[in-house]
Amino acid sequence: MSTEILENLKKAVMEYDHEGAATLARKAVEEKVDPLEALNALTVAVRQVGDGFGRGELWLPDLIGAAETMMSVMPILDEEIERKGAKRQSLGTVAIGTVYGDIHTIGKTMVATLLMAEGFTVHDLGINVTAETFVEAVKKYKVDILAMSALMTTTAPEQRKVISALKEKGIRDKVKIMVGGGGITQKFADEIGADGYDPTAPGAAKLARTLVGK
Amino acid sequence: MMAMKGFTRRFKPLEILTEEQVGEIHRATLAVLWETGVTFHSERALKDLEKNGCKVDYDLKRARFPEYLVEEAIHRCSSSYRVKARDPKNDLVIGGDTVYFRNFPGMQTVDLDTWEPRDPTRQEYNDLITVLDALPNLHAISPYPYYGYEGVPPVMRIPEGVAIKIRNSTKVQMTGNASDSDQFNIKMVKATGGEAILMAAGSAPLTWYDDQIRATYRAMEVGFPMYILQGTISGATGPATVVGSVVVNLAEQLSLIVLVQLLTPGMRVAIASDTYPQNMKSGVPGFGRIGCALTKAVENQMARSYGIPTRDSASGPVSSKKSDFQTGYEKALNALVSALAGANLILIHGSLYGEITAHPLQAILDDDIAGMVGRFIEGVTVSDETLAVDLINEVGPIPGHYLNTAHTREWWKKEQFVPRAADSLAYPEWKKTGKKGALDYAKERMEEILATHKPTPLTPGQEEEIERILKEAREYYRNKDLISDEEWAVYMKSLESLNYPYG
Ligand code: B12
Repeated sequence: MSTEILENLKKAVMEYDHEGAATLARKAVEEKVDPLEALNALTVAVRQVGDGFGRGELWLPDLIGAAETMMSVMPILDEEIERKGAKRQSLGTVAIGTVYGDIHTIGKTMVATLLMAEGFTVHDLGINVTAETFVEAVKKYKVDILAMSALMTTTAPEQRKVISALKEKGIRDKVKIMVGGGGITQKFADEIGADGYDPTAPGAAKLARTLVGK
Repeated sequence: MMAMKGFTRRFKPLEILTEEQVGEIHRATLAVLWETGVTFHSERALKDLEKNGCKVDYDLKRARFPEYLVEEAIHRCSSSYRVKARDPKNDLVIGGDTVYFRNFPGMQTVDLDTWEPRDPTRQEYNDLITVLDALPNLHAISPYPYYGYEGVPPVMRIPEGVAIKIRNSTKVQMTGNASDSDQFNIKMVKATGGEAILMAAGSAPLTWYDDQIRATYRAMEVGFPMYILQGTISGATGPATVVGSVVVNLAEQLSLIVLVQLLTPGMRVAIASDTYPQNMKSGVPGFGRIGCALTKAVENQMARSYGIPTRDSASGPVSSKKSDFQTGYEKALNALVSALAGANLILIHGSLYGEITAHPLQAILDDDIAGMVGRFIEGVTVSDETLAVDLINEVGPIPGHYLNTAHTREWWKKEQFVPRAADSLAYPEWKKTGKKGALDYAKERMEEILATHKPTPLTPGQEEEIERILKEAREYYRNKDLISDEEWAVYMKSLESLNYPYG
């Protein structure tokens, strides 16, 4: 029974079926399927879609569709995991956002999705994110990696501002910081004291692994 | 009255939609404007919209538009208007069957050997504008067109660019704006006696940010024309369907048109869209793809039904990084469709990859595409003289020929467009040139223009005024702390050049 639920969960993710996935997740909880295993099934499915994307067989809407299906059922499983006092397996926790003054969404969303497919727990803070919000998120989610996107010459300096704010709060060394977005360069990343930069979304996922040593 | 000639479309524009379909798209747009409305991150705009009959939700910052207001606003737009240039012979008369061409910007220049982007120097910025000023099939100059040059801090890039454009060209320019730079742009343009086409850029889907609204109010105050720019990416920031994306674009554009036409009836506006299909692999917009042309065909027909002029950028940014075959077809196909569909201002010259790069060499190549497209839309003349029956009877069969007739001497130049930077030789001559291609000819033409073309200089008084306004802008941003100490030092040093402001 449990393997059937897990298989169907995978299938629901790969068919971008939010409702179906939610029903199955609730059923998994009812039938006492290990929530960590259910979560794992979701991750495997998203990773498969991510691999298909990497091979050029699947496309962005497939990737984002699968990732969002997974995200939509996470709360159901998270609640159960917490109730059992278990701990979610993940490569690490990432908070990601496009910096203040900048509303470019697409690149940031791609990176967030591929990080999820890679096996990270991702908190997407959205766009136009202030330094205070980034700092709050670092504290609240106990993040391992803070990822920032900026696409404009005028908003790139915000990344520096966020790093300063983290320093001020004395938590700069608690997180790894990676930066990106059109226009950001390795040189700029070095100048502002980020821990990593990559010009592509798949590269960002690899970089994140390196940053957490996995 | 004198004006820039441009091209005239002498036949019916392409109609990709039936009349019923035009109505359906319009009603769909009205439905979105009323049911969802548009977000305005501007208290001032929301208040003005509410006062005039919109339904406003201040928590959501959302205005919803009743049909009658939208119809009234469309009705108030001018379908044709003049835009004053520094030199009156370069005035534009936008609208109707007139088609103008303009360059499209890129943030940086490219290195012609490696095709990699890099910041231009001040000299290269001046050179780009000089080339644009010289090209015969380019009628107006874009915002930016480079985002500054070596040594200029980000916030000063737009004002410095506007100054370079004024100094090197008498053609009408469009000005972009960021960090409220339009206040300085407007002053500089006014100081030299022309007008600029200002712009407000929406953020799809269905959102106007405050800086763009502030620029809109300033445009209304100064009374310059304004282009309402919208950049939906089909499948990412708009529906994946062509007409769905057009609905998002139109809803956003009409929402701002309502604001400006309520407050300043008759204000000169144009519908300007940068709509691309999403590249579903890289996430970058699918610049240059044929989906751009499809969208343009639909949008132009919609705008024509409203009586609002259009500015098209389908042939602006391309996906290719080099001046190559792909760049050529991406631009040519899209420009031709735009022109056939009835666009009034077509963006083509100079741009390479996706708003990121531009080069004068490419502008020279594109000037030939503009010339070809322009020639096509001028169509054919059917008259006794062009039918030439008398002549055909006179010349008769072989050994008669037409190379020696007065009719040929009179007509061939009117009938043909001859590209300037193209290889048109037969094999033997081509071999003798060392096998030159379009790029070689473009390089030669660029060198020739830079050696011989002298843009009309400003008067000493105007020159002084421009420098004064730039100084004011530099101090304004310095005092706002938007230029750091290091940036300021590099910037001031760059101004010490002996050839400033020209090199
Ligand atoms: C689409 C677009 C828009 C859309 C955005 C829609 C949306 N909801 O996202 C709209 C039309 C709304 C828009 C608005 C504006 N835009 Co815009 N926009 C673009 C455009 C065409 C594409 C951007 C994009 O989506 N790229 C595709 C994604 C996938 O690329 P990416 O974000 O770089 O991400 C990739 C990598 O960088 C990396 N990555 C991304 N994030 C991260 C993070 C980390 C940690 C890592 C490791 C990697 C990484 O992974 C991604 C995948 O490979 C670019 C031009 C261009 N060719 O890039 C201009 C561009 C970025 N925009 C620009 C400008 C100026 C603006 C406006 C100010 C224009 C205006 N006056 O209104 C406004 C800004 C509003 C604001 N306050 O932010 C300029 C910026 C110039 C500059 N350097 O200063 C550009 C370069 C265009 C131009 N030349 O004018 N824009």
